[in-house]
Amino acid sequence: MEMNSLPNGNSTPSTPPVPTTTSPPSSKVGQLAESLRLEHQFLRVPFEHYKKTIRANHRVVEKEMSSVISGVSDAADRDDLSSDEAVNHLNSLVSRLQGLKRKLEEGSRVEHLQAQRCRARLDHLESADAENLSEWNNMRLKRILVDYMLRMSYYDTAVKLAESSNIQDLVDIDVFQEAKKVIDALQNKEVAPALAWCADNKSRLKKSRSKFEFQLRLQEFVELVRAENNLRAITYARKYLAPWGSTHMKELQRVFVTLAYKSTTECATYKVLFEPTQWDHLVDLFKQEFCKLYGMTLEPLLNIYLQAGLSALKTPYCYEDDCTKEDPLSQESFRKLALPLPYSKQHHSKLVCYITKELMDTENPPQVLPNGYVYSTKALEEMAKKNDGKITCPRTGFVCNYKDLVKAYIS
Amino acid sequence: MELNTIKDAFDRVSKKQKLSCSNTQEVIDQIDQEIEQALQKIQSASNPDSLLDHRPILVELKTKLKDMAPVTQLESTQKDLNSALSKYPKLLEKSFNPDISKAYRNIEFDTHTVNQIIASHFYRQGLFEIGDLFVQEANEPESVAVIKSQFQDMYQILEAMKSQNLEPALKWATSNADRLKHNGSDLLMKLHSLQFVEILQKGSRDEALNYARTYLSPFASNHMDAIQKLVVCILWAGRLDRSPYYQLLSPTNWDKVVEELTRQFCKILGQSYESPLAVTVVAGAQGLPPLLKFMNVMAGKKHEWQTMKQLPVPVELDKEYQFHSIFVCPVSKEQSTEENPPMLMSCGHVLCKQSIMKMSKNSTKSFKCPYCPSDIDAIRCRMLYF
Repeated sequence: MEMNSLPNGNSTPSTPPVPTTTSPPSSKVGQLAESLRLEHQFLRVPFEHYKKTIRANHRVVEKEMSSVISGVSDAADRDDLSSDEAVNHLNSLVSRLQGLKRKLEEGSRVEHLQAQRCRARLDHLESADAENLSEWNNMRLKRILVDYMLRMSYYDTAVKLAESSNIQDLVDIDVFQEAKKVIDALQNKEVAPALAWCADNKSRLKKSRSKFEFQLRLQEFVELVRAENNLRAITYARKYLAPWGSTHMKELQRVFVTLAYKSTTECATYKVLFEPTQWDHLVDLFKQEFCKLYGMTLEPLLNIYLQAGLSALKTPYCYEDDCTKEDPLSQESFRKLALPLPYSKQHHSKLVCYITKELMDTENPPQVLPNGYVYSTKALEEMAKKNDGKITCPRTGFVCNYKDLVKAYIS
Repeated sequence: MELNTIKDAFDRVSKKQKLSCSNTQEVIDQIDQEIEQALQKIQSASNPDSLLDHRPILVELKTKLKDMAPVTQLESTQKDLNSALSKYPKLLEKSFNPDISKAYRNIEFDTHTVNQIIASHFYRQGLFEIGDLFVQEANEPESVAVIKSQFQDMYQILEAMKSQNLEPALKWATSNADRLKHNGSDLLMKLHSLQFVEILQKGSRDEALNYARTYLSPFASNHMDAIQKLVVCILWAGRLDRSPYYQLLSPTNWDKVVEELTRQFCKILGQSYESPLAVTVVAGAQGLPPLLKFMNVMAGKKHEWQTMKQLPVPVELDKEYQFHSIFVCPVSKEQSTEENPPMLMSCGHVLCKQSIMKMSKNSTKSFKCPYCPSDIDAIRCRMLYF
């Protein structure tokens, strides 16, 4: 599949400048296996989604089934039921069962799709091999970018990128749709969808000792105080805040004191509780809980990969003026990101020829000019051939003969 | 990691799910049948005189359903399914790195910078529509407008080449001829050759000859062989496919020129050939495994990790990501610096200055090379520049 062929109109051709398809050596296979082990989230998220659907569907079945059965026993226990009424009653139970059957079919269709998605991802991991590595890497970059877009709430770009590359099964757009509803509401200062989400995931949030729901309740309480609806605020606190007292007394007390201060307070401890940024904080908190629940990293994958990549690439030489353009760290934006990151570390020398940018190893050993500058044998041989055995040092202009060179042995 | 075991494990989960699904359906059908039967009985036995006839039927139905115990009947398959559902994530955690953010430093990246990098990446890959949408959605000011228009130019040239139109490419290459020459690229000559072959294919000898005179002859000094071959092709004008030079028609010739043009275009723009974002992410995928391994071993040193000036473990990147020479002294294991430069000893082996100073007791006496039997005089060691 040509990954970059997008329906981009006439003016936007689609040949990507990444046609590196030289077959890589076998050492890359081990490296590939290692990098596949980074893909936990890739398999985990669709599975959590699948699991969630299965559980929800099962709950529906259990609930409906029990109510049909209790419907029968109710009817059997009554003695004032006419025959017609009994028939009507049973008929209504039958149609209820029909409805359940339809729900079940629909539910198992969704389960099936989600199972397929889980499988598609396993297949995708399996498809990576040394031959299609650059294409596979390209695809991984797109997946990582979609993940970034989704976490940053750039949903349109996420959808478009996924569609145009035909990788919908490999990204978690539908999972994030669920998050989007909650986030949008919180940004509009509405807690209802967030509370519904908490109720949906009650047992798991409890397991991880999440206090997200508590934070939501606190915020609702503060809003009541802001509106000077004090009586309602107190009733609210009794009902929704008190249960958290045993574990979060301090915070509860602090928020409760706002009753005394009102929203116009200048007291810093309480003023901050009325700030609109509290809502942003709730959004962040939600994102964290959401990611945890699905087994995602809290940071966008892109940031994690970028950090590691920048550190691995960062050397003191990257910040010099003659840094090659091929090094990402020759660019201002990458340098800026890499600034607070550690430098890479090497246990063995790695020498790159200044002229050809190729590695100098035993096959292409380094040679030393009388002025101490070192270049690869390949580059120097080529230069000597073109200039009757004369060598000109490209960095100093020093001229010498090819036979004046000595080999350097790097261990 | 065995992907097959994971696949098998997943198959088990989905098998259990299917089983539970069909089981549920069966149970519902059973309930349905019982109720339907009861309904029929009531309706057929229904005697307008008797009001109580249906009651025993209902009671019987109730007992039947109770004996059937549909909810408990589902419980066992559900239990199986649940255990499969909780086993699989455990297997994933065991087979994969469950949390790759362990190797993450708590440093906020500047979102604006990251977005700019992403937008540039889209443009340079030719994904202009996605780039535009992204810039709009991320509300990034037009900081990437320049790179967009630059790469638009390039993709216009490439797109024309796809429909065998070399004009834009030739125009660009001609106006950048000096810089191409400086870069040691013979792109212009290659483009002219392609054009020449195109003309020949159309069968016009005179035109081809004229073209060769005007555009190919200036390259004669460096490309005599190639030009001779091309000119001889005039003999087969219009039927090049049956000539000994049919390879000139191969589409791979075009691919090669497209690649060279892309390379040179990027170079002249001052851009890299590969997308820097793609390079960094691949480097990240190669760097993360050793870092995570270190983090797992050094679980207690989480705090130090946040402040380290240098990675605690070496990260082996592929050859193509080695952009700079790094010299590590084989004696002290330290990377060379300006104060501690690499030095060439008379035997050809290289050590860092400090190591040589140590072994020679500050150049007061000769010492043995750690790699060969030579006697080394520190004074005669030369500084190297890689």
